[in-house]
Amino acid sequence: MSANSNRMVRPRRVSRRRLLASVPALGGALATGCSDVFRPPVIRGGLIGAADVLTMSTSRWLLADQPLAREFERSDIAPDFPTWGQTNPSDEEYQRHLREGFRDWRLPVSGLVERPQSFSLNDIKQLPSRTQITAHVCEQGWSAIAEWTGAPLSQLLEAAGGVKPGARYVVLDTVDRWYESIDMFEVVHPQTILAYGLNGGELPVGNGAPLRLRVERQCGYKNLKFLKSIQVVDSIAAFGRGTGGLNSDFGFHWYGGV
Amino acid sequence: MGQHMARPCRLCKILMMPKLARSVDRTWLPLHSYNVRVCHWINVIAAGYLLLSGIHIFLDFPELYWGNTGYQGYPAIFKLSDWGLSWDEAGALGNRMWGRNYHFTFAWVFLINGLIYVGWSLRTGHVRARLWPGREELAPANLGENFRDHLRWREPKRAQATSYGVLQKISYLLLIFVFVPVMLLTGLAQSPAFTAAWPWLLDLFGGRQSARTLHSIGTVIFVVFVVVHILEVLLAGAVNRVRSMITGRFLVTGEEK
Repeated sequence: MSANSNRMVRPRRVSRRRLLASVPALGGALATGCSDVFRPPVIRGGLIGAADVLTMSTSRWLLADQPLAREFERSDIAPDFPTWGQTNPSDEEYQRHLREGFRDWRLPVSGLVERPQSFSLNDIKQLPSRTQITAHVCEQGWSAIAEWTGAPLSQLLEAAGGVKPGARYVVLDTVDRWYESIDMFEVVHPQTILAYGLNGGELPVGNGAPLRLRVERQCGYKNLKFLKSIQVVDSIAAFGRGTGGLNSDFGFHWYGGV
Repeated sequence: MGQHMARPCRLCKILMMPKLARSVDRTWLPLHSYNVRVCHWINVIAAGYLLLSGIHIFLDFPELYWGNTGYQGYPAIFKLSDWGLSWDEAGALGNRMWGRNYHFTFAWVFLINGLIYVGWSLRTGHVRARLWPGREELAPANLGENFRDHLRWREPKRAQATSYGVLQKISYLLLIFVFVPVMLLTGLAQSPAFTAAWPWLLDLFGGRQSARTLHSIGTVIFVVFVVVHILEVLLAGAVNRVRSMITGRFLVTGEEK
């Protein structure tokens, strides 16, 4: 592993404050009956839906202090991090960006942010970065440890002027027409980053170049590769089948914590 | 509790059991309390779904590893393909979406049902009275005799028909207070959210993949338990035993006196 990019900058406190203010504290959420952190945007019917809420609320209750997912040693890093699912989107525009080294590639950030705009890869690399050696946990059963470098999602939203009142979810779209959403509880977490580096180098194509989501306390299927755009919304009803992600549109649980 | 006087056994006639139907001196002994019976059958459904859905999840990734890391191509300690079922064939049999949805749903049913059962058992003294082996039961001679009886497929004597044998007691206690907690924790140790909250889970089992491997070994142990449990029920009188777990009453016939 090359050691050239181990810069670890703590996210500035000030920049997270406004985001944090948009997330009801767990105690407050309990008291006021605001249940965003405890329940998925759409609760499935029957016993499965009841279990979904139990699983999510139990884990969120245990995670109330926003602990970090375990970070490992460099010696724990997997020799060859798997490339799973989509490994090279055939999308023409993507292939052009790939050939050009993502020179003109831009990430639009829109929706409930004060200053909607698009960011170049370089803009994102200029943001305070975070490097973390964490385990990727696939819901299928495999897990592998890698060192990810990227900009905390909260830093990016701060660079877009911060989120507006009423913001509840961040919806991420990908080049290969995948989409997922995460709630503000995950957005404000320091380890929730938009990664552009893997194991000290650039993020390889097979792992989602140029930018992928790392949401370390949820399963692999929430950690979208090949990001195309980001939207901050108050409701996920208008996306796909309205369950909050393509995985949950298919029938997986929206919350990937287990 | 008092013994109930016998009534003509219609079920015995229907099931072509002339010996039981004819016998004059039939006594119904109260065997299983309402709580035990309800929890038992909810457990059958929950554990059945847990087993089936767990197999589905496993078949979608039919390899086991040790430590924190494990993926296709990484040194595995168990590969289903070594046992004649290729990766693709296993994947075609398994459905992890169905498996995950039902595994976590019935994990909750199992957990809540189990907590009710254990809470009730401790509160009413059920554990002490029915499950906890006495000192004389644990004597080597008695343990040996009980073990030999099992090896010879000998059904329990009349006096023992309405209480658990010492090996039965030990296996139930191990199942409830050791096996189930280990299965629960090895399950949680695979979750990215729960291990963020409780990182000691990773240390306890030596890593996420170790936990998955132990969880899978536990599945095999559970299947062995179920097979032995069902064999014992068949051996000790299937109709009478299953009926007693439904109605609560166990039939003792005079001819055996």
